[in-house]
Amino acid sequence: MKEQIQQHVKNLLAEGKIKGFLGLRQQGTDIGPYLFTTADELEDLSLGDRQDPGDSRYPLDKILKRIAHKYPTDTFGVLVRGCDERALRQLFAVSMLHRDRVIPVGFACPSELAEKHQCWKPFPDALVAGEVSPGFAGGEDAVGARLDLLAKLQEWFDTFDTCVKCYGCRNICPVCYCHDCTLEEAALLPTGDIPPANPNFLMTRAMHMVGRSLCVYCGLCEEVCPANIPLKSLYKLVAKVVGQEGTTPEGRAAQQKTSGSGQQAVGSQG
Amino acid sequence: MVGLAAAFGSGAMTNSIAEIEDADCIFVIGSNTTSSHPLVATRIFRAIAKGAKLVVADPRKIQLALKADTHVRHNLGTDVALLNGMMHVILKNNWHDQQFVEERCEGFEEFKQLIDNYPPEKVAEITGVSADDIAKIAEYYAKAEAASIIYCMGITQHTTGVDNVKSLANLAMLTGNMGKESTGVNPLRGQNNVQGACDMGGLPNVYSGYQAVNVIDNQTKFESAWNAKLSDQIGLTIPFMLSGLSEGTLKALYVVGENPMVSDPDIGHVEKAIKNTEFLVVQDIFLTPTAELAHVVLPGTSFAEKDGTFTNTERRVQLLRKAIEPVGESKPDWEIIQEISNRFGYEMNYESAEDIMKEISTLTPSYGGITYERLQGDGLAWPCPDKEHPGTKFLHKDKFARGLGLFHAIDYQPPAEVVDDEYPFWLSTGRVHVHYHTGTMTRVSPTLHAEIPEGKLEMHPEDGERLGVRQGEKVKVASRRGEIIAKVILTDRVDVGVVFMPFHFVETCANVLTNPAHDPIAKIPEFKVCAVKVEKAA
Ligand code: SF4
Ligand code: SF4
Ligand code: SF4
Ligand code: SF4
Repeated sequence: MKEQIQQHVKNLLAEGKIKGFLGLRQQGTDIGPYLFTTADELEDLSLGDRQDPGDSRYPLDKILKRIAHKYPTDTFGVLVRGCDERALRQLFAVSMLHRDRVIPVGFACPSELAEKHQCWKPFPDALVAGEVSPGFAGGEDAVGARLDLLAKLQEWFDTFDTCVKCYGCRNICPVCYCHDCTLEEAALLPTGDIPPANPNFLMTRAMHMVGRSLCVYCGLCEEVCPANIPLKSLYKLVAKVVGQEGTTPEGRAAQQKTSGSGQQAVGSQG
Repeated sequence: MVGLAAAFGSGAMTNSIAEIEDADCIFVIGSNTTSSHPLVATRIFRAIAKGAKLVVADPRKIQLALKADTHVRHNLGTDVALLNGMMHVILKNNWHDQQFVEERCEGFEEFKQLIDNYPPEKVAEITGVSADDIAKIAEYYAKAEAASIIYCMGITQHTTGVDNVKSLANLAMLTGNMGKESTGVNPLRGQNNVQGACDMGGLPNVYSGYQAVNVIDNQTKFESAWNAKLSDQIGLTIPFMLSGLSEGTLKALYVVGENPMVSDPDIGHVEKAIKNTEFLVVQDIFLTPTAELAHVVLPGTSFAEKDGTFTNTERRVQLLRKAIEPVGESKPDWEIIQEISNRFGYEMNYESAEDIMKEISTLTPSYGGITYERLQGDGLAWPCPDKEHPGTKFLHKDKFARGLGLFHAIDYQPPAEVVDDEYPFWLSTGRVHVHYHTGTMTRVSPTLHAEIPEGKLEMHPEDGERLGVRQGEKVKVASRRGEIIAKVILTDRVDVGVVFMPFHFVETCANVLTNPAHDPIAKIPEFKVCAVKVEKAA
């Protein structure tokens, strides 16, 4: 799978279609984002599977936004999984990235990862490599069911008490792109203390994620949270409460089922 | 560290961070873990999710206290009494691990006799913690299958710091919570590499790997390796350097990556000492308040500009790789030291940080098997004596580093300075979540600065009312050593009669107030307790 990606990117570079390729590089056992500009460097390309599939993911789209800002007239390639591509479309939609200056190079996630992430479309449309697996077909979110938002509100709020206000959830989120972030607006969210003023702090972010259907349910926020707050589950539950159930993994899975066309229909979800 | 070394023979976190997750009881004392070591707090939260009991002993209602099964607020500086009280309950109920005590420890009888004098009722009077609570936390800790102790500066920064640590060691040995997975006595070290700096002999009494300078075999070993004559005398600790400077017996000071003008107790005294220095050299990455007083400033590099290793709190040696070239005229610390040494006429010819690690591994038994090649990935936790050794997850498995674990009979002693009519408030100092140490790195970050731009005094609302001070108003805080003006935060995070101040801020410098009285052995000052008076600022 990696060879196909490497070859594909080499071609893009050789043909002059891209100025660089934003992917992941492995050094020793460490994996991190890297902007590849020559074919040789691609030797060290990684797909982000250190020990287990997808255990070393980064919000490459968001990093690309910075690079594109610095080189506004150049075109770049970027490594994408299904969720990355979904995030990319969100960034296109608000002109944070320009559709014509980004070439996504995609690969599919294995079904075990899709199950783990409850991902209804574990592959991008810009698929270059990998075996397409059907993805999550709907069902209960274990954490969500255990901690139903309205029924267990106090339990959720108790969980919020572990937040150390590190901003990790926002910083890693591929679709948290605002220049002036509400979470840093001292007039709305008092500064100086941990846990931060809750439920305001965590619920503000939750509303931002679901209110405009931004969240692509990649789960990076939840993985990075040092307080182990089940953020992705929280966002799903908030989405249900505010009538955005259709944008949750369960909702998407249900839509795929009723549209009956399985994998073909998914291309349309943006 | 000295306390642990005396009890066990090795002064470091006994267990690894990841093991905390599987403890059945976690006893956190003198550590504001979510604020200062959030990723250790992660493991504590995970342990709670798996059903572990959390006991927090801290005079302040810290964030972790919100998640504790029991939070006790003992009076400042009464840790020994609290721990002795817990052990009294444990012995009385036979919750101790007799077999472990007999087979693996010594000094038990004397210790036991002393503990007899600490019935919970008496301890309650000293500590302000109810006898019931003492019994409860003793039971949680003693009855757990695997119980882990986590502590930090709230234990060590006292005139009885070493006693406090030895008492924690007593508690762990008494209950057999040593040398096993998810147990132990675990000091959290602050900086990413403070463990490494100590490991490398950045202390007055040891070479690398804690090899004492006054042991002749060590001296000759290092003399032949370095081809130089070495001293067998123990060097000076910071308090003695400062008094030496004041008195003129010490003429020059070379400060590397420290900021005593903000970080040391009784700043008035520090400033006098530093200004009295005939020749002051400061090597740092920013122009700190101390560097501003220097005759020569040598620009060091930040973590991003150098290769090397960091040894973290769990004894794990980790590789650091240079991401960018050194900015401006800055150089990695080892290069600066090498150049100075060469100009003094002692040739050093290291080519790289890796070169130095090669030397470290030949001279330091606990680092014997550590090479850059083996450090790729997750690194290695010492002791790692040879090239095949996989590193050590937890210490003292079948036997303590010193052979038998040593019980110490320790009596409670009050802090060096206690409140009186003139100075009626207890002052404690510490950190806030967004700032690091003297703020030389964090206060220049706009985001972190915006979160907490200034140092304020935490005070209980009842005290505020009594003094006629409202939220955010300015107060004058004075101790026997100096005074500062700061705004107040009225909060029940502190108890009535106790005030707290972070020490990161040079403008409202808490260390103008603190007491330089220090532990007789470790020489760590009593940052955590002194007496102050507070009044509304005019
Ligand atoms: S969310 Fe879906 S596309 Fe993204 S990593 Fe998980 S399985 Fe792959
Ligand atoms: S799952 Fe988290 S990181 Fe991913 S898009 Fe949603 S909020 Fe952002
Ligand atoms: S939390 Fe809200 S305001 Fe902040 S970056 Fe994300 S979407 Fe924007
Ligand atoms: S990542 Fe977790 S701890 Fe950090 S701010 Fe977000 S919710 Fe809080």
